[in-house]
Amino acid sequence: MEMDDERPPANPAESLRLIEQERAAAERGLGAHPLAFFGPWGVAWLAGFGLIFLRFGPDGRVFVSMPPWLPVLGLFALLLGAGVVSGYLAGRAFRHIRGQSSAQGAMYGLSWLLAFLGMGTTLPRFAGHLPEAEAGLLFGSVAVGLTGALHLAGSAIWRDRSLFALGAWIIVINILGTAAGPGWHSLIVSVAGGGGMLLLGVVISFRQRRRR
Amino acid sequence: MSDELPELDPVIHAQARLRVVAALSALAEGDRLSFPRLQEILRMTAGNLSVHLRKLEDAGYVEITKTFSGRSPTTLVCLTRRGRLAFEDYTAAVRRLLEPPDDH
Repeated sequence: MEMDDERPPANPAESLRLIEQERAAAERGLGAHPLAFFGPWGVAWLAGFGLIFLRFGPDGRVFVSMPPWLPVLGLFALLLGAGVVSGYLAGRAFRHIRGQSSAQGAMYGLSWLLAFLGMGTTLPRFAGHLPEAEAGLLFGSVAVGLTGALHLAGSAIWRDRSLFALGAWIIVINILGTAAGPGWHSLIVSVAGGGGMLLLGVVISFRQRRRR
Repeated sequence: MSDELPELDPVIHAQARLRVVAALSALAEGDRLSFPRLQEILRMTAGNLSVHLRKLEDAGYVEITKTFSGRSPTTLVCLTRRGRLAFEDYTAAVRRLLEPPDDH
């Protein structure tokens, strides 16, 4: 290969092939693996909201008896774990790049933190006036809706269609789940939300591999 | 103009440098990429990549900056505005060569 370095590509088609090959290689080498992001979050939603559903089912049903704090703690621990794992993997993937996108990524990460800080400090005021099941749904629906909105904002920053689709999907299932009521919301968010993220991660991975 | 063959930029019209410029063009504008990662992406030796980067730098197509990440020195590479433009022109010219002329 080194001997041919200075040689021009054999023909225009070969030039174009080289360009496409190296751009695809660079895109794979620059970003994080799609499952580095969708994997941890998908698992956290699937298992976390699944736990909530099993303890706080529709019409107050309890499918698996456990102390009420346990599934809540489980969900928080899973979400925190997903944040740490995906943050670490993103940091590792992007440590080779400096410049504008580092600032973009940092501001986007902070947006999530601030949005949920705002939610966590304002909602308890209202939750105290609601029956337990409705209070749970209030937290669940606002948190999931916020997630959808932040995904949509991210899609605009990186002009990423799959992120836009995911954000819109989350908004829709959140509306449907909230209309269906407490219990159902957790089940829908677990399966359609968490499962949807995992599916999207797998689909994007396969699509990237096919371009190789 | 349709009969004229577009001229191909001799700086980019060499296999190794075309690959370097194409890979760097995938970087977002305003971003810089570390030398070792660029080397990994292109599967080139460090020496070989350095030679071609220097030629591209001489043409004003790439900018090379040396900085520190912690204590270890890092070399960062990016396309200049001129380099990005040259790559876009080259790609457009190659596409035109591949299209059958239809408007005479």
